[in-house]
Amino acid sequence: MNLFDSLAVSGSALSAERQRSEIIAANMANAETTHTEAGGPFHRREVVFHSTVSSNFQLALHHEGVQGAPPHGSVHISEVVDDTTPPVMKYEPGHPDANKDGYVAYPAINPVMEMVDLMASVRAYQLNASAVTATKQMIQQTIEILKS
Amino acid sequence: MTTPTPLLSMLESYLKLTTAREQAISANMANVDTPGYHTHDINFAGELQNAMRKISNVGNGSESVPLIPASREVHGLLERPDGNNVSLDREGLLMAETQLQYALGIQLIRRQFHQIISAINGGSQS
Repeated sequence: MNLFDSLAVSGSALSAERQRSEIIAANMANAETTHTEAGGPFHRREVVFHSTVSSNFQLALHHEGVQGAPPHGSVHISEVVDDTTPPVMKYEPGHPDANKDGYVAYPAINPVMEMVDLMASVRAYQLNASAVTATKQMIQQTIEILKS
Repeated sequence: MTTPTPLLSMLESYLKLTTAREQAISANMANVDTPGYHTHDINFAGELQNAMRKISNVGNGSESVPLIPASREVHGLLERPDGNNVSLDREGLLMAETQLQYALGIQLIRRQFHQIISAINGGSQS
């Protein structure tokens, strides 16, 4: 339980939010991708956040200097899941990926939705960055004690 | 850790509690988008009273007082449909408050040490 643990917690959130932004960017970039290595159109992906919540007992252990687990409240991405929404079928008979009826499967990605998600991610990143600044100031003030 | 005056022990516990709260707020802010997460906090006033009582029982304050603040869930906050109840306004305000409290503790500790220096120098300018 010290200020550097706070930094670690905020840092874990920063990296989780950055990964989320990357996934959203990939979704937006592939909004029109009809052909992937796995076959079929691109599937929209989403991140699942998971927090490390320790019990008071674990907190006490940590306080006594037993290290190992990430500090209480850290965030990590537990998995990246595929959106199972069926693809949008568009009638484009000349397209190389068209099926026998002339329909092409496009990924079900709404750029507006992705944009809003990206904005939320950026705001959360800013929030945690300001928490890092606050913690840094507190550490700086502690060092000030040493100055006469 | 041994400290020369009881007031310094008290300020030490005050800073420890402020740090614990800062970490609780950081954790809440980090989990602003985690589904099912509930806001955690420590009972600042209660823990501080506890620590003060322990320090006055120890007497001259020469012994260190172990202090492990228990974290607990905060009730009465609006919960979003994904089960998360972190309120950004609450966390932002608390973080500003905690920073000021910490700065106050630091200034008081510096003041204490300056007093000791002043006593060593017999009241003359150090």
